[in-house]
Amino acid sequence: MIYKSLLFVLMTIIIVAGISFPIVPHPTNWYEFPDIPGLEEKAKILFYHVPTSWLAVVAFLMSMIYGVKYLKNQNLDDDAKSHAALQVGMIFIILATVTGSIWAKFTWGKFWHWDPRETSVFILLLIYGSLFALRSAIENEDKRAKLSAVYSILAFLTVPFFVFIMPRIMTGLHPGSADDDNLGPVVDFKMNGTMQFLFYLSLTAFTLLYYKMWSIGYKSLIIKDKLLKKMLR
Amino acid sequence: MESFFTFLENNSIYIVMFILLTIWFGIFAYLNKLDARLKHIEKEIEKEGNE
Repeated sequence: MIYKSLLFVLMTIIIVAGISFPIVPHPTNWYEFPDIPGLEEKAKILFYHVPTSWLAVVAFLMSMIYGVKYLKNQNLDDDAKSHAALQVGMIFIILATVTGSIWAKFTWGKFWHWDPRETSVFILLLIYGSLFALRSAIENEDKRAKLSAVYSILAFLTVPFFVFIMPRIMTGLHPGSADDDNLGPVVDFKMNGTMQFLFYLSLTAFTLLYYKMWSIGYKSLIIKDKLLKKMLR
Repeated sequence: MESFFTFLENNSIYIVMFILLTIWFGIFAYLNKLDARLKHIEKEIEKEGNE
């Protein structure tokens, strides 16, 4: 109950404060955000876009961890947990792509530029999208669980490269790329206290939301499995 | 009333905020409903298993 209320309150605070607090060149009041060069009024996307992409990485990591657990214990509940994490991760990565694309339209002029960051997200979408195709192609549940566990482990090996390394060592438009001398690390140096606090609050709220979505997801998969087995008996 | 509409016209970011809040309340209510339904089904399965 406390967890649910905390999630509700935190997310409401993020939406209200993240959108309504004004961005000014030199903040003097606690409720004002600084004007970050290159981001300006559009800096407010930081409270929604960054947590979604971060949670996608966490979800793919969870999917891998439960994949390993399944291979170790051969328990189908672990496969359900891995699959649920994958589903939530996919939702979050699509959200990150869509919000980023809308932001790009107003910052760079077009929805899609094939910038290193956009390309790497596109490849990740393909990699993880094909895992769904793989799962739906196999009927035998043990075989499906085994193959998808191995695939989720292999797929996660590419995530650090596509999310953290490639977009940073290549030149591009996205904040944080190699030739980005204007923005640099946005979180540490360009934000003021309030903005940083809200940003970390937003990360917490989205993590709680992820956990709730994930727990509902795996519980429903386990129940579905139980009911199917019961019907077949 | 008119001044309220003029205020919203000049500060349309608040309309965005209200729309987002409505979406969030909807998502939260939906998740809670799903959770409650799942708990109910889990209990039913447990009961049937015990019988």
